[in-house]
Amino acid sequence: MGLFDNFDPTLAAHDLVQDLKWDPELRQQFEKDEGSVLDRYALRPAERQAIEQRNFRKLYDLGFHPYLGGQLARLIYGNDVDGAIRAVNNLVASLNSKS
Amino acid sequence: MAELVYAAGIPHAPTLVGLFARAPAEVQKVVRDSCDALVQELEAARPDVLIVFANDHLTNSRISAYPDFLIGMAAEHSGPHEWFKPWIGCRDYTAKGDTAVAEALFRGMTRRGIRMNAERKNLNFDDNISVPTVLMDLDKRPVRVVPVLQNTTVPPYPDQRRCYAVGQALADLIRDDLPAGLRVGLIGSGGLSHEPGGSRYYFIDEEFDRWFLDLCCSGDHRRLLDELTIDRMEAAGSGGTSELLAWVVVMGAIGERPGRSFGYAIHKEFRCGIGAVSWSVNGHAAGRG
Repeated sequence: MGLFDNFDPTLAAHDLVQDLKWDPELRQQFEKDEGSVLDRYALRPAERQAIEQRNFRKLYDLGFHPYLGGQLARLIYGNDVDGAIRAVNNLVASLNSKS
Repeated sequence: MAELVYAAGIPHAPTLVGLFARAPAEVQKVVRDSCDALVQELEAARPDVLIVFANDHLTNSRISAYPDFLIGMAAEHSGPHEWFKPWIGCRDYTAKGDTAVAEALFRGMTRRGIRMNAERKNLNFDDNISVPTVLMDLDKRPVRVVPVLQNTTVPPYPDQRRCYAVGQALADLIRDDLPAGLRVGLIGSGGLSHEPGGSRYYFIDEEFDRWFLDLCCSGDHRRLLDELTIDRMEAAGSGGTSELLAWVVVMGAIGERPGRSFGYAIHKEFRCGIGAVSWSVNGHAAGRG
C-alpha cells in the first residue's frame, strides 16, 4: 500500500504539527505539558491516542501526511542534526511494527 | 526580450550541510565537484536574477489551503526558518529579492492560465532554498533571487506534464514580459530519490537516480514526460522523489537540449541520492532549443 493511499487532509493533527513548527511558545508548552496542547485541537480519539503512543503506523493508517509525520517525529525526538537521526529511527521502527 | 543564461537542477537534502563532514571522502568529492561546477557556470553566465523552483516541505501553508506554486515577492529573502535551522545545520543568510520580476511572474502566469499564489512577506524557507543558497553562496553574489515554492507532496499536485507546461509558459514570460537585456537563470531544487517520513526513510533508489540523471542529460523530453510519472517517482521514494518536478519546470522552460551531470553519490546517512545537472543555455532566448 502506498503512503498516500489513506491520506486524509481533514485530520486536525496536520494543523497541530504546522502550529508547533511556527510557534516556539507552543513548542515549549508541548514539551512541558503535551496533553494541554493536544486539548486545543479537534483530534479524533484514535488520532490523539496514536500521537500519545508515538504510534506513527496508526497515525498514517488514519491518513496522516508522511512528511508531517517526519516533522512530528523531530518535534518529539529531537530537531538538530543528531536528534533527526533519532527521530528517523524511531519513526521507521514504528512504521515497520505490526501493531 | 530577456535572455535565459543559466539552468540547473540540484538536490537540497539538509544532510548535505549538516552531515557533510561525516560523509566519506568520495561522497564529499561528488558534492564539492557538483557545487564547484555549478558555481563556475553561474559566475560565467552572470545572471541578474535567478528564479528558483523548489518544493515547499509544508513549511508555509496548511494542508487545507495548499498552493501548487507560491512566489516569494519580498525585496529580501532571509532564512532558514528558525525551526528548520538546527535540523539543516546551516548559517543564516539574506539573499536579495526582485519584487518587480516576482510581480511580473505572478501577473504573467495568471494571464497565461496558470494559477500561482504570491506572498510579499518573507516566506519560511526550509532546506528547499536554504541548502542551494549556502552551498552556492547565492546571498554573497550580485544576483537577485525569486523563489517559487512548489507543491510536490500534498495530493493532488501538478504532474510532470503540467509542470513542463508551466515551464513552457515561463519561457514565454521570460521572452515576452521581462525587460530586454535582463539576464535570467533558472534552478530546479529537489530530489533525487528519497522517502521523507516513510518506512523507507533510508532507501535510496540508485537505479532510478542514474536513469533520471541520464535522461536529463539526454535532452529527450518526450521520454521524460512519458516515463517520469508520479507513480514512477513514488516507487523510487514516496513523497520525496517527486521534488524532481521542480527540475521538470526548468526543462520545460529551456526546451530539449543536452545537459551535463557531475557525478552521482549514494550515502545512506544522507537519506537522499545526490547528483546535479546543468544545461547550456547561454546566449539562447528562453525556450528555444
